[in-house]
Amino acid sequence: MLTRFYRLSPTFYRYSPQNDRLPLGKGNPTPYLSNMNTPTNQPALQVSGLNVNYGSFKAVQQVSFEVQPGEIFGLLGPNGAGKTSTLSAVEGLIKPASGTIRVAGYDNKQHPLHARACMGVQLQATSFQPELTITGIIRLFAGIYGVSLSNDRILSVLEDIKLQDAAAKRFGQLSGGQQQRVSLVIATIHQPQLVLLDEPTTGLDPQSRRQLWERIEAMRDRGHGILLTTHSMEEAESVCDRIAIIDHGQIITIGTPQTIVDDNRELDAVIRASRKGRITLEDVFIGLTGTAVRE
Amino acid sequence: MSTTISTPLPVTETRPLALPSMGSVYSALLRADLTTQWRNRRSSLMVILIPVIILISWKGLVDKFGGAFALSNCITVGLTAVGLMGYSNSVARDRDKGIFQRLRVAPASNWAIMASRLTVQLIMITIMTIVIFIVGYKFDNITMPASGYIIGFFAALIGGAVYLSLGQVIVGLIKNPETVNATTRLVYFAFIMIGMFGEFGMLGKEIGNITKYSPYGTVKAIVSGGLTPTIWTTDTTTALMVTLGYTAVFTFLGVRWFRWSTR
Repeated sequence: MLTRFYRLSPTFYRYSPQNDRLPLGKGNPTPYLSNMNTPTNQPALQVSGLNVNYGSFKAVQQVSFEVQPGEIFGLLGPNGAGKTSTLSAVEGLIKPASGTIRVAGYDNKQHPLHARACMGVQLQATSFQPELTITGIIRLFAGIYGVSLSNDRILSVLEDIKLQDAAAKRFGQLSGGQQQRVSLVIATIHQPQLVLLDEPTTGLDPQSRRQLWERIEAMRDRGHGILLTTHSMEEAESVCDRIAIIDHGQIITIGTPQTIVDDNRELDAVIRASRKGRITLEDVFIGLTGTAVRE
Repeated sequence: MSTTISTPLPVTETRPLALPSMGSVYSALLRADLTTQWRNRRSSLMVILIPVIILISWKGLVDKFGGAFALSNCITVGLTAVGLMGYSNSVARDRDKGIFQRLRVAPASNWAIMASRLTVQLIMITIMTIVIFIVGYKFDNITMPASGYIIGFFAALIGGAVYLSLGQVIVGLIKNPETVNATTRLVYFAFIMIGMFGEFGMLGKEIGNITKYSPYGTVKAIVSGGLTPTIWTTDTTTALMVTLGYTAVFTFLGVRWFRWSTR
């Protein structure tokens, strides 16, 4: 019972040349990972045979995919398809029934703190303590990730996202676009190998959306692996290098947006879904997942 | 152990992964939680104000029932407010807003998140207890031996644990923050009314006996016993044991039932 609170009590590991992670002995005076290198040849995220159940309901069934460093991978699906459950399992918020998840080589069951230290997360409905200022929030998460930031550095981070005047404001006082920028800064403050973005552009105006896409692409160019969920086919086509379409908890198809369109353009359901005389990713999505509105 | 960011490194480069130290995570959380508490200082003030008002208004009773009686009752009222209203309401609100989930996807362990919250409440208990001591001395001329103040203070911390764990049970059982708020007010009111009137014997002998072994009665007894250590009796020891028992049971249930998310 107490494990719910204490299951994340820290155990420290060191990197071995064989790429094994060994627990440090009790007598080791250095309880940190200063001698551990993050392997660079590992995918940013490896999900294999993932199953998530809620009681008898199978939300995710045998889902497997990888996100490579420097890649934007989109996870698309109708409401209730299993996107958020998959993401929650990767984040460690829910316990999968089976399957393995490795973040930058770290198994998130065996080394949850390491896996979390290697990922940055922007949740769908991000919320921070409403009493904290933007500076306070950045300082809090920098502390949690073990990053020391001077006041000047915080200011320069805020300048980078054009929010230098908002340093003393509360999160709730910012516009939707500004909030997303702050969330993105916090998600990447520790330069993680993997960045998880759960519908990051929902509710943004076109200008803010375009700006966010540019930021996401810049993150990819710096080598972050990015897993993004979205309902926007335009977004998936514009920014994702590869996408997976998930429905009823299973991945239906996976590949580059263009490959997915090309591979499915002959399907009757896709042709029926076409509205503009040419086959788009949205037509393929509707063709593969059906026209029924999901709750 | 922390690293300093200068220019962002390409993440594909080999670089050391240093897990943040427990101390760095805990102090970051504590700083944020203390800031939150400070910005909500008006509601924190109310937690202290109610027992202070009771203490000042009981000046006439001090001669009759003794200083330890007045102080212990007022401290118990304050502890009830800290544990039930301060702690459980803040946890219920942050859980509902998804603040815990945001922290839990970072490398902040569950125990660090809760330990930081509890530390803030222990600070509140400390402030409240010291304020009661000072007000008792200034307005009601209540003086205790130094050992009484020290043991009384530690008894207040032990008593505070009962109400914090009871608050944990409430947020474990109830997800909706509005319902948590209403429930804690109701329980607070019930504890004060039944506890105090039961103490005075106004509710009959049977209720008086029940009150004696309720969380209110046992906490009041150990604080009172702590303030006057020379007259510590077996009844006080029994009250201490019952208090620890309540804490253990409430903690067990509170942790077992608690969910980090309302969804």
